[in-house]
Amino acid sequence: MRARAGNLGPMAVVAAAAVLLYLPLVVIANYPLAQRALERGAVMDCEGPLACAFSLRNPVIPAPGQLFTGIYNLLLPLDSPSAIPINAFWTGAETLVGLALAALVGFLFAVGLVLSRAFELSVLPWIVASQTVPIIALAPMLVVLLGQYGVQGWLPKAIIAAYIAFFPVTIGLAKGLRSPDSLTLDLMKTYRATTFQTFLKVRLPASLPYLFTAFRISTAAALIGAIIAEMSTISFYGLGKMLSENARASDVVGTWVLMIASAALGILLVACVGWVERLVTPWRR
Amino acid sequence: MNATAVPGEPAATGDALVSVRNVTMIYGGGTVALKDATLDIEQGEFVSLIGPSGCGKTTLLRLLADLIEPSSGTISIGGKSPAEARRDRSYGYVFQAPTLMEWRTVLANVMLPLEVMGFPREERQRRAEAMLALVGLDKFADKYPWQLSGGMQQRVSIARALSFDPQLLYMDEPFGALDEITRENLNLELLRLWRETGKTVIFVTHSIPEAVFLSTRIVVMTPRPGKIETVIPVDLPQPRDFETRETSRFFEIATEVREALRKGHGYEVEV
Repeated sequence: MRARAGNLGPMAVVAAAAVLLYLPLVVIANYPLAQRALERGAVMDCEGPLACAFSLRNPVIPAPGQLFTGIYNLLLPLDSPSAIPINAFWTGAETLVGLALAALVGFLFAVGLVLSRAFELSVLPWIVASQTVPIIALAPMLVVLLGQYGVQGWLPKAIIAAYIAFFPVTIGLAKGLRSPDSLTLDLMKTYRATTFQTFLKVRLPASLPYLFTAFRISTAAALIGAIIAEMSTISFYGLGKMLSENARASDVVGTWVLMIASAALGILLVACVGWVERLVTPWRR
Repeated sequence: MNATAVPGEPAATGDALVSVRNVTMIYGGGTVALKDATLDIEQGEFVSLIGPSGCGKTTLLRLLADLIEPSSGTISIGGKSPAEARRDRSYGYVFQAPTLMEWRTVLANVMLPLEVMGFPREERQRRAEAMLALVGLDKFADKYPWQLSGGMQQRVSIARALSFDPQLLYMDEPFGALDEITRENLNLELLRLWRETGKTVIFVTHSIPEAVFLSTRIVVMTPRPGKIETVIPVDLPQPRDFETRETSRFFEIATEVREALRKGHGYEVEV
């Protein structure tokens, strides 16, 4: 994850490829639309369908200029409740709180799975089932349920994020806790270590790399969970709330800007996980 | 029965440090891993268990360590059962692999058993540093295991096994994964440690030169079922060095061990 001088070349190549792919895609997506608009005699400030593909009022894929204008309009002012920064902050906060909850719940489930075969057989199918329920159907119900007990605002969104995120954490941690080999466990036995000592000094540290791998997956999932929760319930802030407003207003450019903002937030959050990982596991190469 | 006197084996006086009497180990699937083994080991000896795979040498060591329990027979270590010996932390165990904790520095790895056993902090630090100095790795105390070579990692593992000053040192093919040159150096190093610490060492190997070079006695074991074929005393003078390997007596004993192993092989072919 760490950007080094030697990696800047490949990073630039991939970024350039993305930009080069973007322009033909704009044409492919918007050309038929522009052609039909011109046939219908629409008054546009452009010559021919190719040029007009870059200046449709509601394009399928916004042209670079439209995109930059859209980003500028939605990014500023920084402290506006209808601009991206504050909303992204709340979505990010919900995601992080969701991750923390997921870590806690995932840890308890993982310990249960590792300690007891009966727990694994009886609880694991339910954990798997919980992940197959469409979150978009579940989210409003959860919000109504939690609202009855006075849990409102950002917390229900964090809980929904946690609902999605705890699964990879549970599976990853369980695998990590089981990862010490039999010789290492024999070694602890020769010291007459208690089960708790072996857990604390061997199983737990051995599970950390697995935990962080799971966290990276969970972070992306939790962010999607938070956004879907914001979209499918009554929200006063968040990228999800902005997305559903844009969808209602059929603002294609705004939707694209928000997708880019969500992606950027995801990259930032996953980078944070990587940073914490390096802090917590300094022994790794 | 192994009760018949084997040349070189001390008479079973009952005051041996380790006493194995008619021990048989049958695993769950019915495999006879060890059949009717009887062996005495005196305080301060360096005894090698040698034999091909499946001869029960690791099984015998694990029985002595109370990692498994025998199907029949008795084992006594300093007059105690293996379980009591483990409780009293009478032995340090060195495995085939270094089994170092990758998240601990070299020093912290050596301190691991001391932490588990509840030694005070300063004592842990002092002992671990002394043990690293003993195996010549004091300059690497702050490194992580992956920064060390395989031979160095195994030396850390030996330092760790000695850190709580056990009476016995059990070693299960500790140098099996290392190259010949590193192995010969570590053999010399191990003999020095044995002289300086006065530990009783029980050493599992499948290398004849290693067994002859290190041991005061060699227990030759043969497979199917795993059993003790014979015990060969090694009268090579101490202290031993690289020249020891080139003496004619060294070759004579190595030949004796080889022939004893072959005898066991004939048994295997018959079955």
